[in-house]
Amino acid sequence: MQPILLRPIHEETTMAACDTSTIKIGETSTGMLIAVRGASVWKKHKKYTYNRLGPFIFHITEENKNEVYYALQGAYFVSECGRSRFGSVNLLQNPTRLATLLERWLQATLSTTMSDGLVLFDGSLTAGADTPVDQLKAILSSARKSKNIVLAFSKMTNLRINGCLITDVTVQQRAPYLLETSGLRLKPPMVLLGDIYVARLSHENYAFRLDIDKENTHERRIEALEKLVGNDVLSQGYPETLRLAHILCTFTANEVIAMQHFVARKCGLRIITRPDMHRLLFGPFGRGESYS
Amino acid sequence: MKLYKKEGNILQILSFPNETAEKGDYLLVEDFEARKALIAQVIDVQFASVPGVLEELLRSLPDGGELVQGQDFDPLEIAPHITYIQDASLLICKIRATVENENLSPSSSWLPSRSQSTIKKLPLPTLLKLAKIEGKLPITIGGTRDSSLLTIDASHLDGRLNIITGKKETGKSHLSKLLMTNLVGYKATVVVFDLNGEYVSLGITGDGKRNAQYDKIHVLTPGQNFKVALKQVNLHVLLGILIHALHLPGTSAREFRRIWQSLKEKDMLTLHELGEVIRNWNCNQHVRDALSSRYHALINSGFFTDNSCEATLLEDSFFKTKDYGGAIVVNLKNTSAMDRQIIVEYVLGRIVEQLTSWKLKATFLFAEEAHLYLRETYWDDIVTRMRHFGIFTTFITNQPDTIKENIYRQADNIFLFNFMNEHDLDVVSRAARVDAETVRSIARDLPPHHCLTLGKVVKDFPIVVKVKAIDVKTMGETRLFFKDMN
Repeated sequence: MQPILLRPIHEETTMAACDTSTIKIGETSTGMLIAVRGASVWKKHKKYTYNRLGPFIFHITEENKNEVYYALQGAYFVSECGRSRFGSVNLLQNPTRLATLLERWLQATLSTTMSDGLVLFDGSLTAGADTPVDQLKAILSSARKSKNIVLAFSKMTNLRINGCLITDVTVQQRAPYLLETSGLRLKPPMVLLGDIYVARLSHENYAFRLDIDKENTHERRIEALEKLVGNDVLSQGYPETLRLAHILCTFTANEVIAMQHFVARKCGLRIITRPDMHRLLFGPFGRGESYS
Repeated sequence: MKLYKKEGNILQILSFPNETAEKGDYLLVEDFEARKALIAQVIDVQFASVPGVLEELLRSLPDGGELVQGQDFDPLEIAPHITYIQDASLLICKIRATVENENLSPSSSWLPSRSQSTIKKLPLPTLLKLAKIEGKLPITIGGTRDSSLLTIDASHLDGRLNIITGKKETGKSHLSKLLMTNLVGYKATVVVFDLNGEYVSLGITGDGKRNAQYDKIHVLTPGQNFKVALKQVNLHVLLGILIHALHLPGTSAREFRRIWQSLKEKDMLTLHELGEVIRNWNCNQHVRDALSSRYHALINSGFFTDNSCEATLLEDSFFKTKDYGGAIVVNLKNTSAMDRQIIVEYVLGRIVEQLTSWKLKATFLFAEEAHLYLRETYWDDIVTRMRHFGIFTTFITNQPDTIKENIYRQADNIFLFNFMNEHDLDVVSRAARVDAETVRSIARDLPPHHCLTLGKVVKDFPIVVKVKAIDVKTMGETRLFFKDMN
């Protein structure tokens, strides 16, 4: 792989990022209580600003899991293929799917409300699993219409070239640079809507998988990356805007306690600590749930 | 509030923002099943160690220390709950007693139920009632934080050693005046060594009128209305002055005794004759010089006189206070260090005389900054010997390290005002009737005029009180240069 050198462009460019997170705050006899929160952060005139949505608390049961998911999907995404394509969702996967739904909505909002900017996604531009292909295509299309370019950063990847993780591939080149990959294919129903790169944006030797919307020209992609390097803080090679979005949506232990307090007050639930079966059965030899 | 931990006699109680408890407050931890309750006092308030708080604080400051601006859309209004959890506090409490069948015992050996115990603030009037702090001779010290009054029993000052201490301008003298006037009100005899002339107006109200105590306040100003003739002085009192205040060596003291007896036999005990005899006494030149220099020190003090009309009988002052009580204020303002010692030696000598001959039942002695006039050996005397004679001392000082450690150890009551300095707090915390943590934690945060009352007067339940105002003319004010410039 030949490195593509990046020369920082310091021209003022608006950039935005979003991220969501979910957490289980408890279990009930019929299901579980979960919380979802999303945050979008944008950098304009060297200042970061954020919008944080949530936490939204859901009581998900086997009975209502589909109703909740599809009701939200139907309300925020005009998709005719959603239900037919995915069918019933697993109860344990439901929190992640609800978080993904919120994330896609935030991405769609940023893509349409911003113009001439960079939109940073957390994850890849892969559709087919949690996200219908049409939904992601629509988001990327609206971003292009508003002259935005979408850059999706993945912290982890399983993609390999010649048996080696793509992010482990090194070249004799000083960062920042990109490595372009080719010939990577995903198993159906997964669809790639972007081209995959390896981005090493700072000297700290951290590499990330980067997906860039396929519909953009090579020059436009490179220019977008150079604007990112010239405008955002890239500590450990990761955009600060995206890092902030992640930090702002993540739940802390304190917030979990607060939400448990909220549901106890609001719904009259009594919180009981579930016995740790590992500890119960194996005593000091049980690793316990806290270690899992 | 929830019981979190118990270690020794320390309780840790989790408290939420809507439950206000401050340092000094009392809590009742009731275990209904055990039919017992613990009385604990809050000695410190800390943030509860809530997991995730650090992350919460850190994420609000990631932009180079500048707060990231933004909006939160929180439809379920969880944020107040987050704040509620974040602001939870941990009350560090000292167990003071156990209540069982309305009886108090100092035990802290049992463990109340963590899940079933109820914790509530114990109103001070309830505590005072439980501890039976009020008595037949009430002295209202002031108001507590929950707007109730702290009333102690004057009999708990009787026969006791008391200390009033705190840094400058916190209200020590004010409290001592309050105690004094109340004791006088209960017909007690009070003697005050008034270093700065602060107590001379005890009988006068703030607007200059005479108050109810006016006739009971007897101000003795040495050299003015307080002079003594040699005839009134017993030899051992004068020897006490010569040896302890004027450091007369033993050999010279023996010669002085001979001189004194010779003059007494001739009924010629006057200053003039004493000077003449010393000058002509057949003795070693060094002894004569020593006696002569002490004689002149006595003369220069202005405290001794040959004029019998000028001489004041201290006994007369005591007599005036005998039936209806009264305060004898020995005004030591404008007296030199040596003269102060002479006067104090004299007064203490006479008090002991009065007490040993049962002319006086007992006296309450208030000694302000006593290290400035009290000789070394008197400290031990006061806490051991003199107490048996009936001298019950209250030391008032802003330098706690000037009072010896054994005085703190034997103090029955301590009225502690604010101290910031660690060293000062260390010294006071050596008192036997209180634990060091309480002193250090509560005294440091006391506002002016608030005092932490410790000891027998409060049955060992430390209580913070705002000392009430008394209508007495203020005299101890600091003279200021810039006072009238604004």
